[in-house]
Amino acid sequence: MALLEAIGIGKTYPGGVVANDGVNLVIEPGEVHAVVGENGAGKSTLMKILFGIEQPNAGRLLLDGREVHFANPREAIDAGIGMVFQHFSLVPTFSVYENVVLGSEPRNGIRLDRQRAIAEVQELSERFRLKVDPLPPVRALPVGQQQRVEILKALYRNARILILDEPTAVLAPQEVQELFVAIRSLVAQGKTVIFIAHKLPEVLEISNTITVMRQGKTVGQVKTSEVTEKSLAAMMVGREVSLRVERKQTDQSECVASVEGLRVVNARGTEVVAGLDLNVHAGEIVGLVGVEGNGQAETLEAIAGLRSIAEGTITIANENAASLSVLERRGLGLASIPEDRIAEGLATGSSVAENLVATRLNDRRYVRNGLLDLKAIKAHATKLIEQFSIRVGGPSYAVGTLSGGNMQKVVVARELCEQPKLLLVNQPTRGVDLGATQFIWRTITDARDKGAAVLLSSADLSELLALSDRLVVLYRGKIVAAFVNTPDLTPETLGTYMLGLSTQTADEMKAALK
Amino acid sequence: MMELFLTVFSAAFFVTVIRTTTPLLLATLGGLIADLGGALNVALEGMMLIGCLTAVIVSVYAPWYVAVAAGLGAGALLGLIMAFFAFRLKADIILVGFAINIFAAGGTVFALALATGGDKGTSINLPSKAIPAVDLSVLSNIPVVGPTLTAFLSGHSVLSWFAAFLVFAVWYFLYRTPWGLWLRGVGEYPAAPEAAGIPVNKIRTWSLVVSGALAGLGGAQLAMFNYVGFTREMTAGRGFIALGAVLLGARHPVGALLAALLFGAFEALAVVMPGLFNEIPAEIIRMIPFVVTIAALVLFSVRAQRALAMRGAK
Repeated sequence: MALLEAIGIGKTYPGGVVANDGVNLVIEPGEVHAVVGENGAGKSTLMKILFGIEQPNAGRLLLDGREVHFANPREAIDAGIGMVFQHFSLVPTFSVYENVVLGSEPRNGIRLDRQRAIAEVQELSERFRLKVDPLPPVRALPVGQQQRVEILKALYRNARILILDEPTAVLAPQEVQELFVAIRSLVAQGKTVIFIAHKLPEVLEISNTITVMRQGKTVGQVKTSEVTEKSLAAMMVGREVSLRVERKQTDQSECVASVEGLRVVNARGTEVVAGLDLNVHAGEIVGLVGVEGNGQAETLEAIAGLRSIAEGTITIANENAASLSVLERRGLGLASIPEDRIAEGLATGSSVAENLVATRLNDRRYVRNGLLDLKAIKAHATKLIEQFSIRVGGPSYAVGTLSGGNMQKVVVARELCEQPKLLLVNQPTRGVDLGATQFIWRTITDARDKGAAVLLSSADLSELLALSDRLVVLYRGKIVAAFVNTPDLTPETLGTYMLGLSTQTADEMKAALK
Repeated sequence: MMELFLTVFSAAFFVTVIRTTTPLLLATLGGLIADLGGALNVALEGMMLIGCLTAVIVSVYAPWYVAVAAGLGAGALLGLIMAFFAFRLKADIILVGFAINIFAAGGTVFALALATGGDKGTSINLPSKAIPAVDLSVLSNIPVVGPTLTAFLSGHSVLSWFAAFLVFAVWYFLYRTPWGLWLRGVGEYPAAPEAAGIPVNKIRTWSLVVSGALAGLGGAQLAMFNYVGFTREMTAGRGFIALGAVLLGARHPVGALLAALLFGAFEALAVVMPGLFNEIPAEIIRMIPFVVTIAALVLFSVRAQRALAMRGAK
């Protein structure tokens, strides 16, 4: 008998978005069950329903063959379901054990029984091979360990079924392996794991069964042993996809941008970029590799002029740019696709047309005598919507009403409708579906082929490996390794350097740091 | 100058400091609990003021402890109303807080006029009661230190002793009980307790109710001990000073005590100084607590910034 079964689940959000439409899911006890699908396929909604955060409009949930309704997470937790979110639910200043027991504390009278809490966390941590020290505050721990704290939290509440929402998205390859060891140990001790993912090789490695979702529906449920990466990708997208990008031979002799001895200190006073030297040439894509928070984002922001620097020089197109404003830098041919499209890339309440012209308000084509030329702006937008195949009702629609992929296309269209000299890109396809990803990759590569120097940062190693000519690995704000991208460069090799486990010598780096 | 020195180091001045500190400390502890729960209570001022009037009016007809309880209850009720608007109706909590302050400023004068039969300034013609002082003159029987002990410890309001106990109680609650853990978790990162099945809004509602109750208690002390009777706008910004004291006290109960003592000491100074320096206008002297509040907050912020910079330089 199935342990957990969802039958005909339907969920329509207020506003008419159909997130789930007749979804079926059958989870057998003791298996690792992967749920895969593109962003927006309805995976997260389904999980929120299983965990009681959302209530379905239609369908039934069966646990151990009995029908259940979860009005809130507490009821799901009490029924033995635990969930680890992509964004961790941990209180940063609380210690590991405080976070684990929060909400179900061992008590001694009215007092929180610390000794028992610490002992229980230690015991769980050993039993399930999730090694973590119970005492330090969680904000002091690396992401991989924070994730273990989240899993311990669920186990502490006696979860039989553990839902992991894209657990590998934030991890370096080695940490992924450690997570998989823990998952296997969980299953060996009778737990059941539901694993949400969109990285197919990982899914194939860890799961026993796979449910594929597309556009709010379940496409099918398959045994992992019976599918390949290719057939799975086709099921997800509904057609054959190729995630390879053809790149032209380009002349990479001219240095477009360089930074020397760059140091950046963040608002908390921590040095986040520690003496960085880097050149980017016309016609090449340089990938900034690193676990998030090792200085990639700050480096890009410093070059774009969005963050003040503590020391060092920044040269763009042979001009000293360190003291120039953002607009002056853009005047030199800089374009930038920021990490967070909603917070930094777009004004979500404004229209698509307004967003597309926002960086050109000193251009006489769109603004004359201090007045906007609405006709020209609209024509510009109509042209770009067509050219970048942005799915939107029209130029006057608010950007906030678009899907993630289409929002990102608006940013890309604005930055790349004119060929830049230097392009800064951070997380270009985060939360973007496969179709739009392909399109954005193609657009960035086109800019490179036409002679742009591109500096790319991404949490997705496969993206960096697919696009980059050269890769530099950052660890704690320093370059610890550099590679010319070749087909035999693997994520595992990069991972060793990303985690700071080893460092190349200056000689080894030299070849790839021209 | 010498006179000022002698005054400041006298037992009588110490007793005055405790008296001026007590309402501030109660309001600061209230502000602390709400702030740690993530609900900034800018309505402390209004809650205190309504606490004052409620206590005074009830004390006309009932024993002092009933009046104190009424002041506390009035504050708690306002906390509940604030929570209802902020969490159930999703209004902006700062705006709700200011609405309560404005309501309190006008509403107390209106209610005062009704209660006194037309007096819009003071409750002078209402026979209101005072909170009794704790008489510890028995201590003077102790040899050598007895008289000094009596001078320092005797004559404080019952609520002053209670407030001192509350500092410990609040600390114990915040750092030793599961509910304190919940409250701090809710304030720092609500998603975490939410995922653990802790009812976030319920916790915040309770934090505002307790916050209001403590502010109301502070009001009762102000209108039934520091002064006996109600005067319009008698809280004179103490609720806002308390908000400052929460930050100055580094959001910790012991810090709150020290910050409240600091402000209380300067308020006491403003009370004794006019008698000593008649060439300085009394208005200037009465500004001292407020100037000190601003200066203390600026200094605190500068220090915090410098501490950050130091850590960065390492």
